[in-house]
Amino acid sequence: MGLLIIAIVLRLGYSQFIQYEELSLKATESWQRSFPLEASRGKIYDSQGVVLVDNLTTSSVIVVPSQIKDKENTAQQLAAILECDYDYMLQKVNKHVSVQRLQPEGRQISDEKAYKIDKLKLPGVYLVQDTLRYYPHKNYLAQTLGFVGIDNQGLVGLELKYDTYLTGENGSINYYMNAKSQNLNLYPADYVYPTTGMSIELTIDTRVQDVVERELNNAYDTYNPDSILALAMNPKTGAILAMCSKPDFDPNDYQNADSEIYNRNLPMWKSYEPGSTFKIITFSSALNEGLFDMDKDTYYDKGYEIVGGARIKSWKKGGHGLQTFREVLQNSSNPGFVEIGRRLGKDNLYNYVKAFGLTEKTGIDLPGESSGIMFAYENFNEVEQATVAFGQGISITPLQLVRAVAACVNGGYLYKPYIVNKIYNSYTNEIIVETEPELIRQVITEETSAQVRDALESVVTDGGGKNAYIEGYRIGGKTGTAQRAINGTYAGNGYILSFIGVAPIDDPEIILYIAMDNPKNTIQYGGTTVAPIARKILVDVLPALGIKKVTEQREKAWVWTDVKTFTVQNYVGLSKDQVKSEEYGFEFLGEGNIVVDQLPRVGEKIAEGEKVKIQLGEQ
Amino acid sequence: MKTKRITIITIIIVIFGLINVYSSSHVWALYKYNDSLFFIKRQFLFACVGLIAMYVTSRIDYHIYLKYYKQIIIVCFILLGAVLIPGVGVVRGGSRSWFNLGIFALQPSELFKIAIIIYAAQYIDKHYKQMKKLSCALKLLAVVGAGFGLIMLQPDFGSGVVMVCAVIVMVIISPLPFGYFIGMGLLGILGIVGMVISAPYRLERILSYLDPWKDPLGSGFQMIQALYAIGPGGLLGVGFNNSIQKHFYLPEPQTDFIFAIVAEEYGFIGGVALIGLYFWLFKTILDVSKHVNDMFGSLLMVGIVSMIGIQTILNLGVVVGLFPVTGVTLPLMSYGGTSLMVTMISMGIVINISKNAHSVV
Repeated sequence: MGLLIIAIVLRLGYSQFIQYEELSLKATESWQRSFPLEASRGKIYDSQGVVLVDNLTTSSVIVVPSQIKDKENTAQQLAAILECDYDYMLQKVNKHVSVQRLQPEGRQISDEKAYKIDKLKLPGVYLVQDTLRYYPHKNYLAQTLGFVGIDNQGLVGLELKYDTYLTGENGSINYYMNAKSQNLNLYPADYVYPTTGMSIELTIDTRVQDVVERELNNAYDTYNPDSILALAMNPKTGAILAMCSKPDFDPNDYQNADSEIYNRNLPMWKSYEPGSTFKIITFSSALNEGLFDMDKDTYYDKGYEIVGGARIKSWKKGGHGLQTFREVLQNSSNPGFVEIGRRLGKDNLYNYVKAFGLTEKTGIDLPGESSGIMFAYENFNEVEQATVAFGQGISITPLQLVRAVAACVNGGYLYKPYIVNKIYNSYTNEIIVETEPELIRQVITEETSAQVRDALESVVTDGGGKNAYIEGYRIGGKTGTAQRAINGTYAGNGYILSFIGVAPIDDPEIILYIAMDNPKNTIQYGGTTVAPIARKILVDVLPALGIKKVTEQREKAWVWTDVKTFTVQNYVGLSKDQVKSEEYGFEFLGEGNIVVDQLPRVGEKIAEGEKVKIQLGEQ
Repeated sequence: MKTKRITIITIIIVIFGLINVYSSSHVWALYKYNDSLFFIKRQFLFACVGLIAMYVTSRIDYHIYLKYYKQIIIVCFILLGAVLIPGVGVVRGGSRSWFNLGIFALQPSELFKIAIIIYAAQYIDKHYKQMKKLSCALKLLAVVGAGFGLIMLQPDFGSGVVMVCAVIVMVIISPLPFGYFIGMGLLGILGIVGMVISAPYRLERILSYLDPWKDPLGSGFQMIQALYAIGPGGLLGVGFNNSIQKHFYLPEPQTDFIFAIVAEEYGFIGGVALIGLYFWLFKTILDVSKHVNDMFGSLLMVGIVSMIGIQTILNLGVVVGLFPVTGVTLPLMSYGGTSLMVTMISMGIVINISKNAHSVV
């Protein structure tokens, strides 16, 4: 008897001491009915602290079937408010589970519905706090930001790529209930507070993105292209400043969006023949190899070059004649680039294409990047070399092109592009991940790069990029007009018109690329249609980024489409009858005989035919 | 001195039992009968009647049972038989073990337990010298076996085992050669195996005891629910009336599993204190039994303490998960009128014998 009693006491002690934690945990699990408290995801900000992705607090409906006495009535009322089928709802309130979430109809419901349900005070029906992902700027940056599903799980874009960081830890209210699922008031409910996910700061700068979105929307409406895209990067780091694809969608309403739209972040998804913008790469490679002096050596463009029996024509009938190599670039002379390709040779051209990272994905921290297509080395023969030299026969993404051109102008350094600046704890602001610019390799020398900048500036002042010229800012750039390949052959109609711009060209802060696919009712030439869009963007973006205007810059060569401008003289302090000019007229404001102010001010430009406003006064 | 101790410990356990019957039953009582005092009112009444009965039997000279043992055992056999007749006996929890007497349900197997002990005590007393002969021992075992058989027809495995074990203890202290017991043990094992085969639910109980988590919603359910009460009790318990497991998690916590609620509300300290009280009670009775003047009294005392002691150990062992679920109540504590009253009457007999013991008293 004694032994048995000792055994019982030992067994009792084993359960109450050694198994205490384990049994308490299991027992508590069986005693508590857990109501989920959805955690908010981390917010996404731009580099200036503007909220790009936010959360809204909403309600979700949860039912405890065993507490519902009148199942039919409850199901009927809920079905009516939540706009779903009665039989379906009846099935849910009859389920043999302790806690039943009404999903999807009862998730993240409107305040109005929540109020109606709350007012009914139905036994066993609960409203719990939920969180809804909210994109305050709607279509803005949509493909890049992506969106989340009903359970706040990332499905597309950054929301998908950084899902593990953004996802918070759900909490719960754990009510003690008896085995018949009625509340036990013996113990207070345990609150496990949800933890918000980590916040993300992007390299995206809304000061740039705002303007890009606005101008692309305008262009999309004006030219009705199949698509239009833009990409802006800091050439010194590889940080993405703006990224835009149209057509776009509203991530708040992704259910009604086309997957071909939201899954295609065009600046990194779309791979196509870049056309003349690619000539920057060829030109830089040849300069770096010292194959010509761009201002002394010349090339005679007779209008075509014969390569492997094929005739490669210049876009200008009869050719550009005798040109320096700088002029070859300015004029975007295809035969000239055939010559540069020849001088580079198979190995050099092939290796530079590789070194500029054009044969592989850039590795940007976004899902859905394409890698581009380049000939295999053994198939890279005379004709292929000639066409690749001027941007045909190679397919690359805008992202690949932009970072390669960035390397051409930033001193030769190829960076890995990135869009997330840092990831930090939403409560403590403790930084979890901070992206440092990642240098892949130096492709060309600093000296070569300086020459490329000089050459690109002259393309804007004297060559095909004149429409991007901005008074007070030194811009470099290159236009492109590429034929569209559909299923491996050139499409009969339509072009991809593009422009790549660098500013300020002497110390690049931003590199901007725009491409418009098959615009309607316009000249199918990048310099005419796309360069002005880039100009409009840069005109607003450069001052916004705090880049100072310069007083001296290379003058733009006059073209007939340009309006002639004159520099305004000083008139302040002069008397009225001394105000005269051969070049422009005047408009007098106010009474008096002395000029007290003028617009435009001294040294500023005025277009031909416009008048200088003169404010008159006494003294 | 020891008589007083026996009386006081018994009364303390009964009072502690009442407190726990209330605490563990009121949730179910309110749910089932819309009266949270349903069980405690009855149990309180039984305890009062039991107390009176205990007092009365403690004043009746125990030799009277030597005189009327035949009548007692015959009446009990008749009741055991009658309870099996459908319409007469009432089925509860799968066993036809009760007579419904309106306010009160009589459980004849509880009465039979004390009757067979009286019978066995007088039989061994009378045939003390002949007990060496197998035929003589077998006669007694035949009577016990008949009772056991009738109880198993209800079926009430727990009461049957307790009764048989108590008689075996009595026989052991009589001069029966040891070899018989080995045979009897084998028979007992064979009997248990036979019973397991005839009713598969017993096998399930045994298996669930080995691993209750194998079938947590079926055969392991009660065991797990008992552990969910005991474990969280920890050292000091959650306090009076604060048990969560009694809120429908543990089925009928006021009967077989009342000790689980004790361990939950009063923790290891409370559980061990209660076990200590029982141990002290049994130890005291066994001490006294050595000093009883006549063999009948001594055997009767040993028989009663064996019956109560074995049932207590069996119950506690089941609740803490040491034995498979057998379905015996905790003497003096569990809800159940017949059991409480018969146990208290038995204690009255013990007290009476104790009073007549010489010396140490």
